[in-house]
Amino acid sequence: MKGFLRNSIKKFDWRMLVIFLPGMMYVSIFTFYPIIKMIVMSFYDWKIGFQQISPFVGLDNYKTVFADPRAGISLVNTVVYAVVTVPLQMVLGLLIAVLINGITKFSVSFRLAYYLPVITSWVVVALLFRYIFSNNGLLNYFLLDILKIVDEPVGWLSTRWSAIFAAILLGIWKGIGWNMIIFLAALQAVPKEYYEAADIDGANRRQKFYKITLPSIRGSIVFALIMLIIGAFNTYTPIAILTGGNPSHQTEVVLTWMYFQTFGALNMGYSAALSVIITMLITIITIIVFSVSARGKEA
Amino acid sequence: MKRKIIAFTLFFTMIILIAGCSNKESEKVTIEFWHNYSASDGQIEVLENLIDEFEADNTNIKVNQVYMEWGSLKSSVVLGSSTGILPDVLRGDIAFVPQFQSLNVLEPMSNFDDYDLQTEKVLAAPNSSNKMGDDFYGIAANTNTKILFYNKTLLNDANVDVPESLDELWDAASELSNPPVVGMVEPWTGIWNIGPYIWSEGGDVLSPDNTTADGYINSQIVIDVTQKLADLYAANALGGPSMDPGAIGDTDGWAAGTYALQLDGPWRENANIAAGVDYGAIPLPPGSNGSISVLGGENFMQFKTSDEAHKNASWEFVKFMTSKHAQVEMAKVGQMPVNIEALSDSEVLEIMPLLPVFKEALLTAKARPVISQWSEVEDIIASKVAEAITGQKSVKVALDQAAAEIDELLSN
Repeated sequence: MKGFLRNSIKKFDWRMLVIFLPGMMYVSIFTFYPIIKMIVMSFYDWKIGFQQISPFVGLDNYKTVFADPRAGISLVNTVVYAVVTVPLQMVLGLLIAVLINGITKFSVSFRLAYYLPVITSWVVVALLFRYIFSNNGLLNYFLLDILKIVDEPVGWLSTRWSAIFAAILLGIWKGIGWNMIIFLAALQAVPKEYYEAADIDGANRRQKFYKITLPSIRGSIVFALIMLIIGAFNTYTPIAILTGGNPSHQTEVVLTWMYFQTFGALNMGYSAALSVIITMLITIITIIVFSVSARGKEA
Repeated sequence: MKRKIIAFTLFFTMIILIAGCSNKESEKVTIEFWHNYSASDGQIEVLENLIDEFEADNTNIKVNQVYMEWGSLKSSVVLGSSTGILPDVLRGDIAFVPQFQSLNVLEPMSNFDDYDLQTEKVLAAPNSSNKMGDDFYGIAANTNTKILFYNKTLLNDANVDVPESLDELWDAASELSNPPVVGMVEPWTGIWNIGPYIWSEGGDVLSPDNTTADGYINSQIVIDVTQKLADLYAANALGGPSMDPGAIGDTDGWAAGTYALQLDGPWRENANIAAGVDYGAIPLPPGSNGSISVLGGENFMQFKTSDEAHKNASWEFVKFMTSKHAQVEMAKVGQMPVNIEALSDSEVLEIMPLLPVFKEALLTAKARPVISQWSEVEDIIASKVAEAITGQKSVKVALDQAAAEIDELLSN
């Protein structure tokens, strides 16, 4: 063991330091330091003011967060958003990827069309969705004036769940393209020989998909799943623009609520505690996803 | 050779440092001025001209103006209070004074010997929004209040008279409502919006010493006013994006002919002119306690982080900006003056036809409580009143909860 250590120190090319030191410094300053600072802040009644003293309050901020029904509402909204958008984005993204992978003509055009929402600004598409779902919006125009299936405009953005539903639709619509690109790249890396062998064995399409395609792109699925879960917990713009958390903070998601507490109410300690809770939640979910997928691999 | 290089480097560094220390070619002070004058109304252009005039008269001062919109003006000061990156002088919402004071960043402006002399030239009511304890943390920059705007076309079409009392206002809102027309709009449900109705009926938000909400925000008067708004909302006679995120915004709604009545500030006039709306305006029709609107506007504030020279230079600039000349110039682009002489200037009266209406409303307008927790207090009220208006909770339950939450906040 000692010999190994000595050997690796001897072998270590110190010039490498020059290469990764800038990156390390960047990550330390802009990622690790803020995380540590945030954890520290969560134990204080943090005063951001000029030369103000922040008293240590122990777990008080955490207690306040857990006792605050509005934090609960924002968390439930976020979880619902994640639970619906993540699987639907993946399934639809994979479906489109498989379809595009199977065609030879126009595949670039389709890829471009499905990827377009991804590169469009969140703000722009969220505003568009607001125009579609507002009381005098496009959707109500169709329902009320064209199809005549409702008597008065439906308040899509007016109540909690219908507004979250609009945000979910936006999230899915905007996310499909990203999933498609990830899965398409993975699909193209699956060796053709597998399918040829399966053809010889007389496997049908369904069997090929479940026995060859899915296991081959497992890595991409896990990657997409984790990224999407993190992304769903970080959703901000759709809600900020569609409803602004209104009415009465009923449609807040964790990030909009955090932003309000930080810059609206100046409750830095509260927001820090909420951030720590969310970070832990995401970490736990990620670990579960990893361990489940690793177990699946062994089986 | 090596030694020579080291000696030369040290010598060179020393020269640079000495040059840096003695770089006082002139005693010119550059002050940083953050503001949210609106670019679309040509206010920034007027500001730039005023700054040129000021700099010409004060050759030792340079003003560096930085525009920020309302939200980023606030969050920049919040962040600046931690990093120390703050302006020397700021012009922002009167509601910022207690919030910024709670961040411990504001310099009491009343410390200047000639502060009282300067405040004699401005309206007392708007300037009261700077007072916390015995000190004044700013000086009024411009003022406004809300008056009742009505869409003449919609009133004529529905054969509804201009209301002369609060009760008539509620009735008019109901009578005017006929899809897609919504009688009245309130973009938010804070005290900025519902305060005037409460005060005009004789109610209040907090006790006179601002220490308790119980018995005030949940008093029978506030319950009755909120119930009235809830009834209007249920009858589609009251709308607004904070109660109903799907509702059309006030400016778009006025332009589209959706909204017929709104208690709003001077900007509604500009927006209506731009949208070609045929409108009229009167002070808020009186309730049982008279017509009491809400005081708005902006103040100039100074910061602790500036040194003496910068504080003095910014005070000179503030005095210039509150002088008659600067106030008249700003009035030409929509800023209602606080300078008493400017208010009766014939040029200003010509440009702001509604000024007499606003002046009348300003006589009785009331300031929101100047306390450091105000933004949290108002958020509690806005959210509970919205719950009551939209029928999620009964009015009494919602307002009792608001009183309890506010009292808990104030007791901390």
